[in-house]
Amino acid sequence: MLVLGIGNPGRRDDGLGAALVERLKRRRLANVSCDANYQLNIEDALACAEHEVVVFVDAARGLRKPFSFSKVLPAAGLPALSHALQPGAVLAVAAGLYGKTPDARLLAVRGHSFAVGEGLTGRAEGNLALALAFLVDFLKGIRRCP
Amino acid sequence: MGQKITIEPVTRVEGHGKVTIRLDDDGKVVQSRFHIVEFRGFERFVQGRPYWEAPVLVQRLCGICPVSHHLAAAKAMDVVVGAGPGKLTATAEKMRRLMHYGQMLQSHALHFFHLSSPDFLLGMDADPAIRNIIGIAALDKDLAVQAVLLRKFGQEIIEATAGKKIHGTGAVPGGINKNLSPEERDRFLKGAAPLNIDQMIAWAQAAVALFKDYQKKNKDVVDGFAAFPSNHLSLVRKDGALDFYHGVLRAVDAEGRKVLDDVDYQDYLEHIGEETRTWSYMKFPYLRSLGRADGWYRVGPLARLNTCDYIPSPLAQKEFEIYKAYTDGKPNNMSLHSHWARLIELLHSAEVIKELLLDKDLQGTKLVKKGKRAPEGVGLIEAPRGTLFHHYRVSADDQITMANLIVSTTNNNEPMNRAVHWVAMNVLSEKPEITEGMLNRLEVAIRAYDPCLSCATHAVGRMPLDVSLVDANGQVLQRKVR
Repeated sequence: MLVLGIGNPGRRDDGLGAALVERLKRRRLANVSCDANYQLNIEDALACAEHEVVVFVDAARGLRKPFSFSKVLPAAGLPALSHALQPGAVLAVAAGLYGKTPDARLLAVRGHSFAVGEGLTGRAEGNLALALAFLVDFLKGIRRCP
Repeated sequence: MGQKITIEPVTRVEGHGKVTIRLDDDGKVVQSRFHIVEFRGFERFVQGRPYWEAPVLVQRLCGICPVSHHLAAAKAMDVVVGAGPGKLTATAEKMRRLMHYGQMLQSHALHFFHLSSPDFLLGMDADPAIRNIIGIAALDKDLAVQAVLLRKFGQEIIEATAGKKIHGTGAVPGGINKNLSPEERDRFLKGAAPLNIDQMIAWAQAAVALFKDYQKKNKDVVDGFAAFPSNHLSLVRKDGALDFYHGVLRAVDAEGRKVLDDVDYQDYLEHIGEETRTWSYMKFPYLRSLGRADGWYRVGPLARLNTCDYIPSPLAQKEFEIYKAYTDGKPNNMSLHSHWARLIELLHSAEVIKELLLDKDLQGTKLVKKGKRAPEGVGLIEAPRGTLFHHYRVSADDQITMANLIVSTTNNNEPMNRAVHWVAMNVLSEKPEITEGMLNRLEVAIRAYDPCLSCATHAVGRMPLDVSLVDANGQVLQRKVR
């Protein structure tokens, strides 16, 4: 299993993905690899292709609840984006180049401030705690599955 | 009724850009503008922070090229701590160079294979849904895999030298905080195929050959598209060699005459001015000696290969000679030749990485030097997209009191506007219908400059392509979201 955090901790709650991954690492869950970067890119497709289960963790704007957890499928066509890729696009690259399609989810955690600055906002901290607890249960559940 | 075509944001460049083209009642282009919402608050944000935090703080600017900001800030702070140019230990300077050339490798590979090659190999009129790296994979899977691994190799060099992927701390004022272990060195030098430096060099050579072959078969498009004369600016090594990490400022005009030469960048304010225009948040830099109207310049790969005299690595030098011969030694002013130049730089970066990995200084233990404190410092670096300026003043109690940054994309502001105007005049004007292919040509022109628009904040669900056709009264006639 791979958990990939996305975001820039120098932009307040944009760092939710990286912060959650850091805290998950401390749990030392067996068979769970953790990584984080500012943005997803094409080389992440290789990492995804090497795992059966992938969870992308990112900050979200405009979410009406603390976090959401949804299935991610390879994007039908790569969206015309910037240098960075969205999770579905990374999966599409993994499928196109390596013929692998991991079971992938997006854990989107609600952020409240994306300004330049250090540390998460108090509300984002609360959202992170709830999302982390949920993710740990999810990963343990996957491990229990035969 | 006049029309206004708006594309917002421009795809596959960083941040949000918007192209506006105004047409008169006859469908002729009367005005074109490339707007960028540039983030300027950062310069105020660092004020009051201790100077030694700057190399880490500045990585907040951008999630795409944090290494460039990290190193430019560190170089400026080297001056502040009395360890400016030529005073770092050999280990510190070479570790920083390895970090920087690793960044050039991954950034250039990403830009060409992922962003630009689909426009060439699949065609500018290809369906946007397949004009991407997946489309490249369907066409040539090996090429797409090479793109992934070149990028991965460069990223791993950065991680080994900067310490970590996010908010790396490798460069510190006066030096570096780690050396390269023999294990790390051997992994890059002799790692299992394909992740070793010899393979990267071979792939970079193949990429240059690929572009040359394409250019030979498509001269009209590659040579003519968005070609216009300009000045060119970059750092060059004191002896005129290409150097991405350090050197003196040199500028040449469209004919190759030196406008600036052998200029110490600590004095950049004497030579570079910044003009503001009411319609854009982003400034327009210019060479003071030529004035605001004529002093604008290009930066980046095209400019660097126009200003330097030679490339100090054998394979890239050979390619440089072919490249220069194509324009009879004169400056190359063809926007799409930026890609050719970028790939020669990719090859050079791979060669330099190998040279550095073989250098025992990388295992040295003298990492930091300090000297006499100075109240201000300027750090310049050749970022993948072009010359990057960082300038700071620091108080006696170690606080940053002033910061001025001129980022590569700002330096290319006027050239990008000129490229957009070329497309507007040559492709869009007086045409009965605005096609996807036409809109994509606008993006191709901008992408040649590989702009990066401070989009480190990305969050889920942003960055659609929004295309609007608006009349002179502001009424939306047509809107497309890609």
